[in-house]
Amino acid sequence: MRPHAPAQHSPYLQALVGVGVLLLALGLGFGAWFIPSNAGYAGVGPNFLPWLVSIALGVCGLFLIRKARRGGFLHMEEHDGEHPYWAGFAWMSAGMLLNAALITRIGFVFSCALCFLLAARGLRNAQATASAGVKSWLMDIVVALLIAAPVYWMFTKFLGINLPGLTESGWL
Amino acid sequence: MESMDIWGQLLQGFATAGTPVNLLWAFVGCALGTAVGVLPGIGPATAVAMLLPITTQVEATASMIFFAGIYYGAMYGGSTTSILLNTPGETATMVTAMEGNRMAKSGRAGAALATSAIGSFVAGSIATVLVTLFAPVVAEFAVKLGPPEYFMLMLLAFTTVSAVLGQSTVRGLTALFVGLAAGLVGMDQITGQVRYTGGVPELMDGVEIVLVAVGLFAVAEAMHAVLFEGKTVESENRMSRVTMTVNDWKRSIPAWLRGTFIGAPFGCIPAGGTEIPTFLSYAAEKKLAKGENQAEFGTKGAIEGVAGPEAANNATVTTALIPLLTLGIPTSNTTAILLGAFQNYGIQPGPQLFSTSATLVWALIASLYIGNVMLLVLNLPMVGLWVKLLKVPKPQLYAGILIFATVGVYGMRQSAFDLFLLYGVGLLGLVMRRFNFPTAPVLVGMILGPLAEAQLRNAVSIGEGSAMIFLQRPMSLTILIVIMLIMVLPRLLRKR
Repeated sequence: MRPHAPAQHSPYLQALVGVGVLLLALGLGFGAWFIPSNAGYAGVGPNFLPWLVSIALGVCGLFLIRKARRGGFLHMEEHDGEHPYWAGFAWMSAGMLLNAALITRIGFVFSCALCFLLAARGLRNAQATASAGVKSWLMDIVVALLIAAPVYWMFTKFLGINLPGLTESGWL
Repeated sequence: MESMDIWGQLLQGFATAGTPVNLLWAFVGCALGTAVGVLPGIGPATAVAMLLPITTQVEATASMIFFAGIYYGAMYGGSTTSILLNTPGETATMVTAMEGNRMAKSGRAGAALATSAIGSFVAGSIATVLVTLFAPVVAEFAVKLGPPEYFMLMLLAFTTVSAVLGQSTVRGLTALFVGLAAGLVGMDQITGQVRYTGGVPELMDGVEIVLVAVGLFAVAEAMHAVLFEGKTVESENRMSRVTMTVNDWKRSIPAWLRGTFIGAPFGCIPAGGTEIPTFLSYAAEKKLAKGENQAEFGTKGAIEGVAGPEAANNATVTTALIPLLTLGIPTSNTTAILLGAFQNYGIQPGPQLFSTSATLVWALIASLYIGNVMLLVLNLPMVGLWVKLLKVPKPQLYAGILIFATVGVYGMRQSAFDLFLLYGVGLLGLVMRRFNFPTAPVLVGMILGPLAEAQLRNAVSIGEGSAMIFLQRPMSLTILIVIMLIMVLPRLLRKR
């Protein structure tokens, strides 16, 4: 791998955050356009706060961009210079999104176990200390089920909270 | 309210909080709170948020006692971690951590843990007495406030939480307005007008507070860990026997008391945040220390520097319940979520709470006394047990947190759509964390926003459509001037 200089706060990325805030403000303003103003006696209709929020966010966005262009945000926490590890992030994202997609199909226990497995893999790879291979995968599967199943039982049986199961038995 | 009356109500509260079932809830809450305080990556706000679904099943008094236990239990647990764990980059930002961590490095971890736990107990108990005495008085006063005053108080909370406390006013305000925007989604309370749902039926009821809290804290934390903290090496300081010498006591007791009296007022005003009082207490202790003791600050670690800020921290956190219970105004992440918990029961904290839900309020206050005693026991003799939690490996810890996040978010509404939204909020939290945006304004804005909007409309109705009403009533005008002052004064002082 090519050696990088330590990661630093980038004014470019900060400006991008400002642009994001500005876009959000525009979106909210666009939405506010379609909210009727039937204020009645109150004088303040349901479209007042939406307008206020979009205008205020727009101003905040402009200020953020201006600050980013004039040497960056002030009072930033120091980074330790670590570059983002996107591969691990991809593992974790896959875990969470698959969990959302599958929870009603394969039930809480297996869906969450899968999420745990993938997220833990990403985190292990990030540490780069993972004793790669079947053993650490097996270990994660066991731990995943040891957390997900009791959590499922505790919340559904004791607290009466509705979580999806794979079977009708209420245990899986 | 008569003083005899308070006494009678409090005894009644002890009777409710002292039933075996409620004692058990308090104990489980305190233990869980200590655990989440010790564990990195999960705080009291996240823990309470994840457990909010139980409000659909568990009776109100029991669950509020439980949540309160988590709330202040986490304060005890948090100090254990900051004393024992050397997390690069993080320790320097927390005042409380500085001296405790230094003491631990020079072999006095036990004394630091002891002064922190006993100090938390002393401050928590004194502050609870203040809550007992003053909350009913404030409530009685607050009954007289009308919509214009309430709106101004909420504006005050918004201002302090976003513009005054953080490092950057613009980022604080951005966070606040993002929170207000999130609060707008769904059906408008007064007119029933649907806003910003984009035709998604799941959004008709608005965005769940659990989802935003868990996404901003837990998910964003896990994402941050996998992206940036992989190579971070942590080391743990060695434990020593948890005792204090006579000299330690002599130095700690005045520091605890000073910390309590610095911290308590900060919780009472709707300004939230423990940063200012803990920092003030630290500065005061450093200034008051003499000779050898003062030389220990920043070198070997001075015990006053742990005792004072720890006490200030707990006093602030406890008295923050006064504005929450009497005015319905949250000033921190966790109190915002506690307000959400009340709302789940259809209870709106405010001056009426002391008359309409007297049993609940007084049981909650009584449970604070009981909980502080439980926490002292949990954290002094049993501290060794909690220290073991620091050994949980990071991958399993964060992956496990994601499971609990799923329980909280899915359990609330049984909607898989919410889990996708959770991922999105997690991304937002990640960006906010990376660019140092504060998170408390988001939650406070989201929870308080709809309430403030309703108060604004009622106020303007009273003024027959004119916003002048805010200037015509002395109380609301006073608060408005206070808001102006706290916006302007810090800037003027900085300029000089």
